[in-house]
Amino acid sequence: MSRELSRLYRALVEETDGRALMAPEQLRRRADRRARNRAAVGALAVAALVAGTAAGAQLVRTSGPGTPPGPPAGTPTSARPTPDASSPVPSPTMTRATPSRTPGTSPSAGPPSSRTPTTIPDRAFFALAPANDAGIAAEFTPGPVLPELCGAEPGGSGIVQRRARVLAYKLTGTPAGYVPDGSYRHSITIYRAGRADDALRELRQAVRDCPLQQVPDAPGVRSTQRLLDDGGYGDESVLFEVRTPYRDVNGRPTGGDELRLVRAVRIGDVVTVLWEQGWENTSSIRSQVDADSRRAVEAIRRWWN
Amino acid sequence: MRDAPSFDDFYRTTSARTLRYGRAVVGDPGEAQDLVQEAYARAWRQWGKLVAHPAPEAWLRLVVSRLATDRWRRSRGWWLAINRTGPPDHVRPPGEDSVLLVGALRQLPVNQRQALALHYLFDMSVEDMAREARVPTGTVKSWLSRGRSRLAELLPGISAEELEVDDVA
Repeated sequence: MSRELSRLYRALVEETDGRALMAPEQLRRRADRRARNRAAVGALAVAALVAGTAAGAQLVRTSGPGTPPGPPAGTPTSARPTPDASSPVPSPTMTRATPSRTPGTSPSAGPPSSRTPTTIPDRAFFALAPANDAGIAAEFTPGPVLPELCGAEPGGSGIVQRRARVLAYKLTGTPAGYVPDGSYRHSITIYRAGRADDALRELRQAVRDCPLQQVPDAPGVRSTQRLLDDGGYGDESVLFEVRTPYRDVNGRPTGGDELRLVRAVRIGDVVTVLWEQGWENTSSIRSQVDADSRRAVEAIRRWWN
Repeated sequence: MRDAPSFDDFYRTTSARTLRYGRAVVGDPGEAQDLVQEAYARAWRQWGKLVAHPAPEAWLRLVVSRLATDRWRRSRGWWLAINRTGPPDHVRPPGEDSVLLVGALRQLPVNQRQALALHYLFDMSVEDMAREARVPTGTVKSWLSRGRSRLAELLPGISAEELEVDDVA
């Protein structure tokens, strides 16, 4: 072993040992307080989201002169296309499904439900396979459901309701108790009739229009975006990757790219997005994202039926 | 149910070593303190499971490493929001040797800093390092070799021969 280098490390140890960490009791109290605060903020955010959605729905119901009145709650509407963007929001219970404006996009696996829900319960969100369960409860939080794409906001209009959560997972084989191997920003959005396919089309275009962009808060660092071949998920799907160079603490590239995979899947008027965000320094693994995408689609189909 | 006394014992017996490791990986002493305490806070939140972990100290080092990598990548995100404890009231100024080493380490990739810290601070074998980092032993050897070669370039007065790159092979 290098004596010189050992001496330098010893000097670092001696200096570090002169520094004190907080007492364990204090650390536990602080950790518990932060967990409580986080839970409270999460509950408030969900409450605000629910209130905002209700207020937004009310606004849309009463929107503009000439807007046809919405159906009474609980009354099914006809299964007629409603291309008018100002068409009434579905009632708080259930409405008949309105076909997508995209031809030939009927659900690929089994008959679709004849009704499109207008609220999103917890059971609409998939459960991880037991081998991937990191033992960390998912947190429903507001915020972006897609990565930055040169300022575009694909799928930002025609929304009836959206819920999103953060879900940590581990890879099969990672021992229990280890830090997770990755995490998802997982969202489910109900669109007005016929608007979900617009959302996916806008997303494809946004990725195409943004092959290179500056990474926020990382001067001089750029990410690349590109669409990947995809299929077999829901009625249609969009898969794209975001690559960012790995960097050292000084922001200099260290070789290799951090890969993020994002998949949006449309099932009728619902779009679910799995945005793999890694866990600190991990990259997305396609097979894992594929498997969880299938679970996400199955959960939505079960929710409808 | 989390057992506070067992966590406190774990914290008291391991935190000094973990802080040394954090310092060698992060460089800045204040940030190392914050990061190590954040790692222990996470450990406490999962203590019900972690108490039965076969190597909780290795788990902590892994969290520290990942937080260190994440620290600069999301420097304007949640990291700035966590409670900073700041340095203690009375801290000796850093010695010349520490300044030299930290300055050089900052120019190495995180994985090389981790490998060097495990080697020089914990005298850990390549096999144990590979197990902890969950990478092949050849990868660890490469990290060590490259890290030490780079240190030889960066540290005045230390030649590549003195670093004896093969002594961990």
